[in-house]
Amino acid sequence: MSLLEVKGLKMHFPVHGGLFYRRIATVHAVDGVDFEIEAGETLGLVGESGCGKSTVGRALLRLYDPTAGRVRFDGQNVADLDAHSLRSLRAEMQMIFQDPYESLNPRHTVGTILEEPYVIHGEKDAARRRDKVMKLLDRVGLPEDAYHKFPHEFSGGQRQRIGIARAISLRPRLIICDEPVSALDVSIQSQILNLLIELQQEMGLAYLFIAHDLAVVKHISDRIAVMYLGRIVEIADSRTLYANPLHPYTQALIASIPVPDPRRRKEFEALPGEVPSPLNPPPHCHFVDRCPYAQAICSQQTPELKPLAEEGDTRHRVACHFAGNLPPSG
Amino acid sequence: MLGFRLDPLTQKKLQRFKSIRRGYYSFILFVLLVLLSVFAELLVNSRALVVHYNGEWFFPTYGAVIPGKTFGLDYDYETNYRDLKKRWADDPDNFVILPPIPYNPYENDLRDGEYPPFPPSIEDRHYLGTDTTGRDVAARLVYGFRTAIFFSLILLFASYLIGVSIGAAMGYFGGLFDLLFQRIIEIWSNIPFLYVIMIISSIMIPNFAMLILIILFFGWIGMTWYMRTATYKEKAREYVMAARALGASNSRIIFLHILPNTVSIIVTFIPFSVANGIIALTSLDYLGFGLPPPTPSWGELLAQGSANLESIWIVASVVITMSVILVMVTFVGEAIREAFDPKKYTTYE
Repeated sequence: MSLLEVKGLKMHFPVHGGLFYRRIATVHAVDGVDFEIEAGETLGLVGESGCGKSTVGRALLRLYDPTAGRVRFDGQNVADLDAHSLRSLRAEMQMIFQDPYESLNPRHTVGTILEEPYVIHGEKDAARRRDKVMKLLDRVGLPEDAYHKFPHEFSGGQRQRIGIARAISLRPRLIICDEPVSALDVSIQSQILNLLIELQQEMGLAYLFIAHDLAVVKHISDRIAVMYLGRIVEIADSRTLYANPLHPYTQALIASIPVPDPRRRKEFEALPGEVPSPLNPPPHCHFVDRCPYAQAICSQQTPELKPLAEEGDTRHRVACHFAGNLPPSG
Repeated sequence: MLGFRLDPLTQKKLQRFKSIRRGYYSFILFVLLVLLSVFAELLVNSRALVVHYNGEWFFPTYGAVIPGKTFGLDYDYETNYRDLKKRWADDPDNFVILPPIPYNPYENDLRDGEYPPFPPSIEDRHYLGTDTTGRDVAARLVYGFRTAIFFSLILLFASYLIGVSIGAAMGYFGGLFDLLFQRIIEIWSNIPFLYVIMIISSIMIPNFAMLILIILFFGWIGMTWYMRTATYKEKAREYVMAARALGASNSRIIFLHILPNTVSIIVTFIPFSVANGIIALTSLDYLGFGLPPPTPSWGELLAQGSANLESIWIVASVVITMSVILVMVTFVGEAIREAFDPKKYTTYE
């Protein structure tokens, strides 16, 4: 059994308006997502901004109540939990946020911020809390005097360390990293990524690593899922995904990774058009409007996320009617 | 909390407030005036501060009435200390120290052969004259200020308590609760407030607490909109999401996370609410729907003064005092607004 199993997860947000505040439209932020995460592994979740990847992370933690689908953490259905069990679940599943300027309360000292998880989860002894916070600060590489400082007194990278300390404070088993490095300078990014990798090895953490940047995800993930407009279009071991992308969207993403070598400049065709609005996505294959290989069937039948029969690798699943029959990407 | 200190953003705001001289000194002066008004009995009172009689010391300001016989006078009612002072003018052993203004706001200083209002006179210690019934204008101004300011502060506290709670709840819980209260407030705010007051005052004479309740009944609305918006904004920020991810309860999130981040909005409105409270009470008193006579009040003085314009000292005193106080409060308000301007010091940084 996997640590986390997600089946048919849907997250639709109503848009209200008009005189009687009726539901006038629906944002299909997440529109049927399946995946699983094993204990101790990292699943990268990539996609353009607005494709619903952050929403997936938040729905997993039940920060949003999913519209449909099942999330099982360690065999428990997350959607069924009452307030009390939900609180204990949150000790096991934590989150690191994208913007370290926004995710720390500007009115609280670092000490208060890091003690909060212990206060919420019933540690009443102030001295013990303080002790634990000191250990956390040390673990994430912050000086002891950070305890009395406020978030704005730190740089972005240091703040993200505070965010990481908060996420590991309750010794969770799964951390959802919602673009934890995209707000940081490139020079800081790798430090934070390395800290995350160290912590993973030390504490046996599993990560759901959300990013819009394939290059970052490659560095840290065991497996990668590619999302497009609320759905996963391809999921595979990271090496497989880079070596043999089967979905035209994945191919386009990989082709668009910049190569740090001016002599090897490659020709690549940018995807035509814009991501359609999640208010009104194409009814079947969501990618149909931008896909260079689209046929009639693509707007008549929804492609399932399934392994390719001829490949024999059940870990590599793709949602495309023509997977395996496309010209190889380059 | 161990090692508590104000967060640097708040420190910056306070520093900026201090650097706006006009507002800062107005604030100090205003606080001083409020504190002084609490001890108004020591400054404006018909009772003496200190009486020394036959080797004994008396402090009549606070406490029970001291009858005239105590000081060798021939009456049993409260001693007239002004007379006592005159009587003992040449007495080397006994003396009386009177407050700077030796009149209380209720007593009628009547004289034979003359009719009030009496004009200002340093000799009589009616520095601002008397009103049409011979009561000292300065005394009524001071006590009227005390009534108005405490009325205003109590009203402010109560209306913010209700307005902030409901506004925060609307913003935080959203949905149907929010919708329901929005409509309630819209209907509520269309009830003509002055008519309600008039109707109630025609049935009964409202006392201090009643008047606060009536104004509160309509006054809590103002803050809800601002709090609702601010809470909506804060709620969507990631630190609230992070607190929820940790399993924090709603009350913890509202009180420990959202409220401290909306405090600057609340603070910005306080001086203007104080001014509004003073104006509200004064105008009700002016119209005769406010506190029952003979409570000292600015509105009542204003009404008297405008009816007796030939006794210009009445209306002049109250208009000048009121303008000075309101201008001061406005200066404070502007300085706070300037210092807390989110464009200058945003919490997003």
